[in-house]
Amino acid sequence: MGTRIELHQFGAGDADALFAARRAIEAVDDALTIHRPSPATALNERLASGGSVAVDDPLLLDALSGICDVWRWTEGHFDPTVGVGEAGQWRHVHVDVAAARIEVSAPVALDFGGFGKGYALDRAILALRARGVECALLSAGESSIAALGSHPLGGKWPLSIPDPARPGAELIRLEIEDRSVSISATVGAGAAAPGRAAMVRPSDGGIVTAPATAVVVDESGAVAEAMSTALIVAPRSAARRLINLRRDCRHLFTHEGVPLVQAGAYGNQAL
Amino acid sequence: MNDREFDLSRRAFLDRVFAASAGVGVMSAAPWATAAAAAPAQGDLVRLGVVGTGDRGRALIQNIARTRNCAVAAICDNYAPNLARGKALVPASTRSFTDYRAMLDAGGLDGVVIATPLDVHARQTFDAIDAGLHVWCEKAMARTIADCGAMVTRARAGRKVLQIGHQRMFHPTYLDALKRAKAGDIGTITQIRASWHRNKSWRRPLPDGAGREMDRQINWRLYRDRSAGVMTELATHQLQVTNWFFDALPTRVMGSGSICFWKDGREVYDHVALIYDYPGGRKTIYSSLLNNARYGCEEQIQGSKGTIEPELGRIYSEDAPRVAQLAQMQCDVRDGRKRPIPIGGATWFPELPVRTPGDALKWGEYDETMLQFEGFGEAVRSGRELPGLLYQAYHASVASLLGEQAMDTGRIIEWPKDLVSV
Repeated sequence: MGTRIELHQFGAGDADALFAARRAIEAVDDALTIHRPSPATALNERLASGGSVAVDDPLLLDALSGICDVWRWTEGHFDPTVGVGEAGQWRHVHVDVAAARIEVSAPVALDFGGFGKGYALDRAILALRARGVECALLSAGESSIAALGSHPLGGKWPLSIPDPARPGAELIRLEIEDRSVSISATVGAGAAAPGRAAMVRPSDGGIVTAPATAVVVDESGAVAEAMSTALIVAPRSAARRLINLRRDCRHLFTHEGVPLVQAGAYGNQAL
Repeated sequence: MNDREFDLSRRAFLDRVFAASAGVGVMSAAPWATAAAAAPAQGDLVRLGVVGTGDRGRALIQNIARTRNCAVAAICDNYAPNLARGKALVPASTRSFTDYRAMLDAGGLDGVVIATPLDVHARQTFDAIDAGLHVWCEKAMARTIADCGAMVTRARAGRKVLQIGHQRMFHPTYLDALKRAKAGDIGTITQIRASWHRNKSWRRPLPDGAGREMDRQINWRLYRDRSAGVMTELATHQLQVTNWFFDALPTRVMGSGSICFWKDGREVYDHVALIYDYPGGRKTIYSSLLNNARYGCEEQIQGSKGTIEPELGRIYSEDAPRVAQLAQMQCDVRDGRKRPIPIGGATWFPELPVRTPGDALKWGEYDETMLQFEGFGEAVRSGRELPGLLYQAYHASVASLLGEQAMDTGRIIEWPKDLVSV
């Protein structure tokens, strides 16, 4: 995943809980990475010519199933297809989970990207729970956070998200419990570097350059990742629609001084 | 600034460098600077004859004139326009020559300053020592490793001071950098990246009607029998610095050189890239080119805790881990304190260059080239060379010439085992 993952466990839990969580994350990376040989790269090779392909890896199949859901929930604005033909190719994809097959009506390649990061945290949380852990905070590159249970001192976990456009300023403060947070942005450290953090609009294949930050809280880290990406790349009207579905946990900040999209329920002044 | 203020500022700086660092090895790493820190003794000026009044020779004349213990007593150049430019910098009564041997024979000198093409350094040094004179010679020492060793041997046998022009050894910022490195401020130094990048051809204009011989005289740095190009004229400075900061000599060198851009009939490389191995797996990565100046001249001294860039005069600490916030959360929980956990932000790239501004190293108010001549003057007066200087200079020259061999042969060249003892 090319990022630093930290697992902070508090209180009870089996002695091997952190080890199991680490193994869960590594298993996701092994399955979904496209930066070395993996089930995902093998799948991409076979999908390059279209047709129907068996998906033998259970993690890969589960991730594909999850993408089907978030693609629908984000109205297609989260789309993991890349590099072959035009953008937004997931509409040509059909995943048959029962038959463990994926069928595409046009050549397609997949990049699980941030979705994979959130999915890995989800799997790590499951591993921790299975070993009796009730309190933990997980971070993947600090843009993906998952909290298991409540804060070790009681109550929710207070998180302070910095404003990427104003060094030293806070963008939003959140409190979470048994939830994940994903932060996506077109501004901030390194985002302006060539080839870095390019957000592609599935609708037309263009790069999103408008300064914006999306913060999404969800039960699932994978869903949070997909939704925060969707809020950045979606047209403003669509972003507003997605936020209004769950105003308490989806936020978009444009950094342009003009409140074009309603923020969530935390009363932050950015929008 | 008057003389007294100047002297105080110089001594104050050096005092700060050395007084605070006696226990961490700086005194042994720069013993020459300790000697040079003392103000010159009162007495007759040391009389120097300058051979070579080209660009560099004239800069040296101006530095000698600023010292309190040396004077230019004669100048010499076999190229009339350069000699005329040199005369303009010295009193009209200063003797001038077109043949350095005639200058040596004329007498009245305590030492000779050699600022001539590389291939004549050794011959002129031998003749000066044989004439009973001390020698200050520009780097690199000589065109061959054998001649570098012979210069050392001849000076020692003749009991004469031989000092080579590596002014960084007197530079206040380099001395402060050394102090910081010896104090462990940048941890264990494992790599030095050094470069000298320019964007100019290095070719000097010729007078009207000049032929091939005149070209070889004026553009001597471009021809192999006279120079090893960027290796002896630039890299030797920085190889001295890397040997100095590693406090070691290379074990072997490998490299690649090419005439890559300036295809104008020159014979020396205009683009070189080398790796010098040092004991313990440490390395100097060196590059020099003549068609891009973006990264200029620098030595990046890289340790486990930080980096020193002496030409920029800055020292940088390694970035604190970006996960400090989460580590703080652990501390908070342990202390029974709950407060918002600052998350890094949306985008985190673990391998981007560190862009912290760093801290300034100390700067001095004296000129290092002037100071090395004051040191030379005192060495001539006492008949004893400044300790450690020749060791540094000799091995820097050997390293530069060894690099040339590595590039010419395309092979890894081991550090010679038959070098003279310095």
